[in-house]
Amino acid sequence: MVWLLGFFLAPLLIIFVVSFGSNDATGHITLANPGLQNYVEATKPEFLPAFLNSVRYSLLTTVFSIGIGYPIAYWISRHGGRHKVLLLILVMLPFWTSYLIRTYAWMIILRDNGVANSILQAVGITDEPIPFLNTDFSVILGMTYGFLPFAILPLFVSIDRLDDALVQAGRDLYASGRGVFMHVVLPLTMPGIVAAAILTFIPAMGDYVTPDLLGGAQTSTIAKVVQVLFTSGRDWPYGSALGFMLMVITLAGTFLALRALRQETFG
Amino acid sequence: MTNDDRRPSIDIERELVRVMAERRITRRQLLEAIAAVGATAALAPIVAACSTAGASATPATTPGATPTAAASLAAASATAAPTATPEPTPVPTPEKDLFIYNWDAYIGENTQSQFEKKYGIKVHYEKFPDASTQMTKIRSDGKGGGYDLTYPASTDVAPLARDGVIQPLSLSLIPNIKNLGTDWQNPPYDPGNKNSVPNYWWTTGIAWDPAKVKEDVTSWAALWNEKYTGKLGMLDDQQECFAAAGFRLGIKPNTTDDAELDKCLNMLKQQKPLLRKYTSDDIGDFTSGQLWMTHAWSGDWVQMTYDKPDAKYVIPSEGAIRGNDVMVVLSGAKNPVAAHLWIDFNLDAKVSAANSNYIGYMGPNAAAQQYISKDLLDNPQLNPDKGVYDALTELVTLEGADLDKYTSRWTELTS
Amino acid sequence: MTRGRNPLLTAFAILIYAFLFAPIVVLIIFSFNVSRRNFVWLGFTTDWYPKLFANGDLLDALWITVQVAAIAVIVSTVLGSFLGLALARNRFRGAGSAEVLILLPMVTPEIIMGISLLIFFTQLFDQNGSLGQIAIAHITFCISYVAIVVRARARGMDPHLEEAARDLGASSTGAFWHVTLPLIAPAVGAGAMLAFALSFDDLVITSFNAGVGSTTLPIYIYSSIKFGVTPQINAISTIIVAVVAIALLIGWRLGTFRSDEGRRIDDAEAEAAAA
Repeated sequence: MVWLLGFFLAPLLIIFVVSFGSNDATGHITLANPGLQNYVEATKPEFLPAFLNSVRYSLLTTVFSIGIGYPIAYWISRHGGRHKVLLLILVMLPFWTSYLIRTYAWMIILRDNGVANSILQAVGITDEPIPFLNTDFSVILGMTYGFLPFAILPLFVSIDRLDDALVQAGRDLYASGRGVFMHVVLPLTMPGIVAAAILTFIPAMGDYVTPDLLGGAQTSTIAKVVQVLFTSGRDWPYGSALGFMLMVITLAGTFLALRALRQETFG
Repeated sequence: MTNDDRRPSIDIERELVRVMAERRITRRQLLEAIAAVGATAALAPIVAACSTAGASATPATTPGATPTAAASLAAASATAAPTATPEPTPVPTPEKDLFIYNWDAYIGENTQSQFEKKYGIKVHYEKFPDASTQMTKIRSDGKGGGYDLTYPASTDVAPLARDGVIQPLSLSLIPNIKNLGTDWQNPPYDPGNKNSVPNYWWTTGIAWDPAKVKEDVTSWAALWNEKYTGKLGMLDDQQECFAAAGFRLGIKPNTTDDAELDKCLNMLKQQKPLLRKYTSDDIGDFTSGQLWMTHAWSGDWVQMTYDKPDAKYVIPSEGAIRGNDVMVVLSGAKNPVAAHLWIDFNLDAKVSAANSNYIGYMGPNAAAQQYISKDLLDNPQLNPDKGVYDALTELVTLEGADLDKYTSRWTELTS
Repeated sequence: MTRGRNPLLTAFAILIYAFLFAPIVVLIIFSFNVSRRNFVWLGFTTDWYPKLFANGDLLDALWITVQVAAIAVIVSTVLGSFLGLALARNRFRGAGSAEVLILLPMVTPEIIMGISLLIFFTQLFDQNGSLGQIAIAHITFCISYVAIVVRARARGMDPHLEEAARDLGASSTGAFWHVTLPLIAPAVGAGAMLAFALSFDDLVITSFNAGVGSTTLPIYIYSSIKFGVTPQINAISTIIVAVVAIALLIGWRLGTFRSDEGRRIDDAEAEAAAA
């Protein structure tokens, strides 16, 4: 706790203060005219497409990551037997290589003259290359891929804890597999799902590198706008303001969603 | 040195005097050195200097050298000298290390190892991926972020000097500066090259693949050609993009007029649906086939041709941007002498040419021209005539409110 | 009948593992590419491997990255686990705000976090970036991830178990060590693995906190993109994968990965075979 306070809050406070300042004529940050003008600027409607893109990508990434991660975690837990830990580590193994190289590998697979298209054309399914890369598709694919372990691990932790006896009892009660799942397994593993969702959605909103590399002119994200403001725009106060707004909105959205879920499952 | 073989004694004496004068060692110091380390050791560097072209700087074996008066070099030299006689300022002892902050693969393949071998200085070459990271890092503590030397754009020199991030150069340590053409001795962004030395120059035009793009490309309008929707690229650089749109509209680049900027913005907005991406890796995207035609830098086009030999480049007829970057010594540099030696080394005609040949960017080094490969020299798009060159425009460093005009429109465009 | 084999699920799992490893396979193949810029396949060569070992800068970057990751994982796992535990039990007063606090590092766009730490260190401590600074930065965001994973697991844990252990005579630390820890151990392990991946791959925050002589592997690679990422980088990644895979294989053979039920299965099978 102390650590977080010291090394995290303090720098964050600095940025927070900076966001109220402005750039003077030579581009240096001054706090001469503190005010909310940066925040007002940050709500420009021009940013809306980028913001909506970010939300869309993050939500889809979260849904897919959990959608794919849950069955995998379940399989490892229930069918992995003595090799459970090994299988889990195997999930993580690709992520101990360099992120950039993995992303470049996806570019090699997805690009017009890449592996995917070569296979499709060789087998005769298509004649012209399908533009996979630099699209929404490639961005969501790349993000889902990148966040999959962040979903699988907490899901596994939660599923693995599931007491077999409860599942058995559930089978007696509900007869159908679906019933058991919906009424026993799912609610009991909800904390894991929530954790997975948090660990996926929140960082996804702030990810600009993946969409930047795998995306194109039409796949802008609000995180990239923040980055541009800090770098080529050299406008740290403005960038900070926009960044903070992004943070607040993300957090608010998350808490609202959590509230809603809790109502449902423990009500 | 054929003369020396026949009449050794007279010519060596002459050479000795010349080199001593160049390197400003007095006779007295030389005698002291001989007494201290023996004739061979003391004379060796001078003999070595006789056989290299141009002036070179002091290797570490000259005892008794005093530092120059320049305050920034005060800490450089290790030994003190007898101060009885007023001496002409000799070359100080360089340090053991040098920390350079630069783009990846921006110097010739062997430049670093040749430098290390020549001076015995260990070079630590650290890289940044883009100019913004570079600026953030070197400005983070106001004096260079721990590095000795870096390569900013020419337009950054004035703000960096004003803010005390870089130090003025001790030109006495850079005798090779005379190799620069007359055009470059007094550039407008840094008269007299007081704070910087030009490194490479380039133009920004259009690169395209003639196998995929059947027409000849001569105008900026080509990047707005709907026929190639989804295969076009623009550089991920706000000033370059606005300049390109400006050229198309007949508006001068670097404009800060709101009405003009809005016209450029509209032009760019029309283009956006046709683009595949705003690329920060024009070489990669082009070579991998994702882009058939793209906004590109001249040197990058040379790199593209390594993997796609037929790729073409053109400086569009409406006009284009040219720029250059420079080498500067940072004010917090712990190894300033080594930094100056590096600059001097890279200004050597052969080294400069090797750099240019390897990465495809032309240098401002007149003396190096004779060593640069013909392919580069004879290409009118890469190495345009003076008339064409002078007509090109340089980008200005924008700050504060002016920069905001661009940034706000750029973020609006790309959102 | 609790574990009926579900072939559909297994098929799905295999598909997903294939998905996970697809880029790795490509990565490995392209480490043998002749082309220096590695954009298109031009031919086969193993030259990059020896070149890699001669590339001091790249190896230095790798070593620094490993060191930072090791420090970050150890510290953040310990701190994060305690934090997660505490939050799961809701015992202390500031629990609500603490929940928000641990989410903050994740919500913060990396560039803001990187720059705020940069300002923090340069202005307040006059530091120019160093390995230690990077480690501190990494620990800061890793703690959050570990805490959340541990909390999820500890949430369902019976809080009275530890109390019961103490009632039975165990000391506070003993109760923790023998009761609580084994129960949350999987979460701690998972958190550690996540932290390692996060630290090893971090680019943005690290690039603002690295200094002279503390270039990490991601920074090195990202800085190389302008002129093409050479197959050397693929080679180093391949080697990392190979090393870990071999270590896993050895660990598996030695039975270190046997969980309790794994051992039970083995024992049962052994009995059945002997009978």
